[in-house]
Amino acid sequence: MFQNYIQVAFRNILANKLYSAINIIGLAIGLTACVLIMLFVRDELSFDRFWAKSDAIYRLHTTFNVPGRQPFITSSAQGPARQALLNYFPQEIEQATRFAQFQPVVEYQDKVFYERVHWADREAVEIFDLTVVEGDIQAAMQDNSSIAINQSFAHKYFGDRPALGEVVSMTTFDLVRDYKVAAIFEDLPHNTVLDFQALTVIDESDFTSQPAVFTEWFSLNNWLFFTLRDGASITTIDSQLPAFADASIIVPGAFQEGTTASDFVTYSTMKLQDLQLNAPGGREMKPTGDTQTVTIFSAIAALVLLIACINFTNLATAKSTQRAREVALRKVLGARRQQLVQQFIGESVVVALLALFLAVVLVELLLPSYGAFLGRDLSFDYSGGFGLGLLAGLVLVVGIVGGLYPAVLLSGFRPARVLKANRSAESAGSIRLRAGLVILQFTISIALIIATGVVFGQMVFAAKRYPGFNKDNLIVVRNVSRQGVVEKQVALKEEILRLPGVVSAAYADDVPATSNESNSSVTIPGNPGLGDILIGRQIVDHDYFSTYEIPLITGRDYDRDYSGDGIPDFEGARPGEVLQGTLVVNQAALPRLGFASAKDAVGKRVQIQTGSPGSEPAFAQLEIIGVAANAHFRSLRSVVRPEMYYLLEGNFRNLTIRYTGNPAELVEQIESVWREHAPNVPFTFSFAEQDMARLYAQEHSLATMLGTFASLAILVACMGLYGLAAFTAERRTREIGIRKVMGARVMDIVRLLVWQFSKPVLLANLIAWPLAAWGMLNWLQAFPYRLDEWVLVPLCLIAGLIALAIAWFTVGGNAAKVARANPIKALRYE
Amino acid sequence: MLKLHNLSKVYQTDEVETVALDNVNIEIESGEFVAIMGPSGCGKSTLLNIVGMLDSPSSGDYIFMDENVAGYPESKLSNIRKQNIGFIFQSFNLIDELTVEENIELALLYHNIPASERRERVARVMDKVGIAHRAKHMPSQLSGGQQQRVAVARAVVGDQAMILADEPTGNLDSAHGQEVMEMLQSLNAEGTTIVMVTHSPAHADYARRTINLFDGHVVTENLRAAV
Ligand SMILES: Nc1ncnc2c1ncn2[C@@H]1O[C@H](COP(=O)(O)OP(=O)(O)O)[C@@H](O)[C@H]1O
Ligand SMILES: [Mg+2]
Repeated sequence: MFQNYIQVAFRNILANKLYSAINIIGLAIGLTACVLIMLFVRDELSFDRFWAKSDAIYRLHTTFNVPGRQPFITSSAQGPARQALLNYFPQEIEQATRFAQFQPVVEYQDKVFYERVHWADREAVEIFDLTVVEGDIQAAMQDNSSIAINQSFAHKYFGDRPALGEVVSMTTFDLVRDYKVAAIFEDLPHNTVLDFQALTVIDESDFTSQPAVFTEWFSLNNWLFFTLRDGASITTIDSQLPAFADASIIVPGAFQEGTTASDFVTYSTMKLQDLQLNAPGGREMKPTGDTQTVTIFSAIAALVLLIACINFTNLATAKSTQRAREVALRKVLGARRQQLVQQFIGESVVVALLALFLAVVLVELLLPSYGAFLGRDLSFDYSGGFGLGLLAGLVLVVGIVGGLYPAVLLSGFRPARVLKANRSAESAGSIRLRAGLVILQFTISIALIIATGVVFGQMVFAAKRYPGFNKDNLIVVRNVSRQGVVEKQVALKEEILRLPGVVSAAYADDVPATSNESNSSVTIPGNPGLGDILIGRQIVDHDYFSTYEIPLITGRDYDRDYSGDGIPDFEGARPGEVLQGTLVVNQAALPRLGFASAKDAVGKRVQIQTGSPGSEPAFAQLEIIGVAANAHFRSLRSVVRPEMYYLLEGNFRNLTIRYTGNPAELVEQIESVWREHAPNVPFTFSFAEQDMARLYAQEHSLATMLGTFASLAILVACMGLYGLAAFTAERRTREIGIRKVMGARVMDIVRLLVWQFSKPVLLANLIAWPLAAWGMLNWLQAFPYRLDEWVLVPLCLIAGLIALAIAWFTVGGNAAKVARANPIKALRYE
Repeated sequence: MLKLHNLSKVYQTDEVETVALDNVNIEIESGEFVAIMGPSGCGKSTLLNIVGMLDSPSSGDYIFMDENVAGYPESKLSNIRKQNIGFIFQSFNLIDELTVEENIELALLYHNIPASERRERVARVMDKVGIAHRAKHMPSQLSGGQQQRVAVARAVVGDQAMILADEPTGNLDSAHGQEVMEMLQSLNAEGTTIVMVTHSPAHADYARRTINLFDGHVVTENLRAAV
């Protein structure tokens, strides 16, 4: 019996080559898309599950709630929070470690590079069981002049020579020290949120010059991981976090009476395993994923597969009339309905299996480029439970979903009627279902086209939008605040300015595409009702606006001819003394500072204060001399921050150079100037334009993915449509013959057939437009600066036309062929 | 009305060459009722298809209303056909998905006739063949005789001068067959030229002339003296 089914299945597949090809290729494409996306999704879900203590590891997150401002959500914690946490939750928390990431200059013989090195507490290597290849990592974490490095780090500095016991010199802030390599561990796998090349132990006394890092309660520079004790519950900790904040954080006297720490600091915890997809969006060791992307991609995979399954169902039901006789005969010979259902589902599964073989080949062919696109090394493990389960599951789902309805339909034919009429008219319900499914396929395809268009459009919009400064021809030289350079900033700039091709140069902390944020609390002497205003501050030099070509809307730029410009020197100011200075702000700052317009602001004063907490402060009143246009240094996902530009001497982090001509040569010249001044500090630079472009990498890959899968969806849908059209034309040859005898011309017939298949596509448009428009308007909400909503109208029309054109193209050729055939052939034999 | 002169039709398939019609000479006057008889496979349908311009002859002349249409391209034939010729088939050849009314209207659909006039003409012809009460029915809901009446209605709704009927009674019982024959007879009485293929000598008797075909040749032509 079973063998007979398989035989019939294969014979049917061979006998109907067009249908079989459409089914198998369509399903294979659907399955390939599914497997590829599932690999990505599974990878995203696999993050940080491999640690021995995975289930017990959590991270503490801090949110600052500053009045009158959006909460400042971070994934970090303050330096003192670790000890405080251990003290406050002795019953619940077993161990805790901070990770602070610095980028020291590492020197070994003639090799000098910046490296990402993490300073951690010694429990770090107990909480996270790194795979140690050589040495003793526990011992490495006992000694502030030892370092544990990964294999890449070892290879980079020591090649194939043994690294253990070698000594590297590192310069971190003002800390210059030799570190002995005490352990070597395997590179971290990609599926962890942790990312470091080297670990060394935190000795707080090494960083007394940088109190913000480990000792201040109002700086966030650490990731803080902890493990739960056996039997302890995270909910206990979560519920007591406000009390923990109040008990631990020392509120400075400057804050208003009666406020407690928990009023402006909110803690939360998150399980390590959840971080990859649910991290709150603060700084991370490396970019994390997000649930939205995973959901979107999973949905797309399901949709492409659904379209392929629909082809399957549609072609099977359309063809069912041809098989009615076989069914009738089997029934006459005693087959029960259940057996027939089994037979037909069996056939579907055979087709699905063939599709699967093809899909596996496709997956293997595509994996390398797919992995490169995602930036991950993905592979499909066929022997593992997941791989086999996924494949078997997909085949069953597809076979049953695609095959069930046709099986039930076919097995339901009444033998007497079928054999007597010698052809079975299909029921209207079955024809309607097929039309409905075609509509569904095209709805999905059209919606995907629209989504692709919007994502792509927003990307182009973002890239083309003038950011408020001239991002072309700008070189950003980084790390100018390092030991060895910082003392020579004046000379460095002077010499670079002398190079041919250099137009101007400016020092600043804030440069395009960084997320550098500093805030100051200011008051407006002329408007005391506003109280304390928290507002962004950036430190610039005289050439900042001219170098970036940020125009001033009113007033003037800082000018070397005005000796009183900028922030006055607080050195030696008496407590309570009020000094005078000048200030340029941007347009976005005007409402925050309470000014109606740029004209209104110029000449008004902003008061700042200085001094350490506890002592009485000194003040400076800054006259606003100019208002700069808003310059967009970050992605269009964020709004322009209100900003005060402080003109200050000293310790800038970056030097921006505007140039003309060939940058390659210029970069070499700049580097040699740098070498002269700072031979021991590596030279790092970038082009502002490329930095800005990188901000849209996420949208770019989303658009690419959507575009690819939308094309696949349409391809598969059209294959189905082609099959249906071919089938319909075949089924309608008699009708076409009659119409031709009645005088219909080829064009009349083509129009008839094409219209038949245009109707579902047109209907699909009516469904897809509102759906896609709604979804994409929602998506666009994430961008404060976004495409005009009306763009959706032409996009919808274009998507509709594309779908229609493709459908016509698919159906038209076949229709013309059928229409041209001689009618008597169709009418001759009945 | 029409004249076939030394007309032949050869079917060329992969290996075999079938001579379906061999130097046939036939003349049919306007208003005639001609029956074509002969054994299965002798070329009756082929003859009718050529006369109906659904197919072209391999050689010879076909003069239709003083025009030699033998070498005409399909589009031209199609135009002459839809103006002048109606068809009735053994298996009715109605379109299953269309109602009786729509099936009849089909014959006017490709004639540039306004919808209102089409409706009027369809109604008139349905009355004439007595199928008006079934206007909204689907072909599958009708008996064979009724279906063939619909086919007759469709053949004449365009005021065609000639009707070609290929075994119109072949799928009908004798009572219904009789009915159809009477309908054809009355159409002929109104002046329509009718060429009919039949196996039934009784039905052939309705015609004024019978042409006997054998193996692609005209064997005899019997003219019935009077009806
Ligand atoms: N399209 C065709 N291709 C090949 N041979 C055909 C074709 N149509 C008819 N014939 C052959 O031509 C001969 C005449 O057929 P036909 O006119 O249908 O006969 P009748 O209608 O008298 O039974 C037969 O031998 C038939 O097999
Ligand atoms: Mg015949």
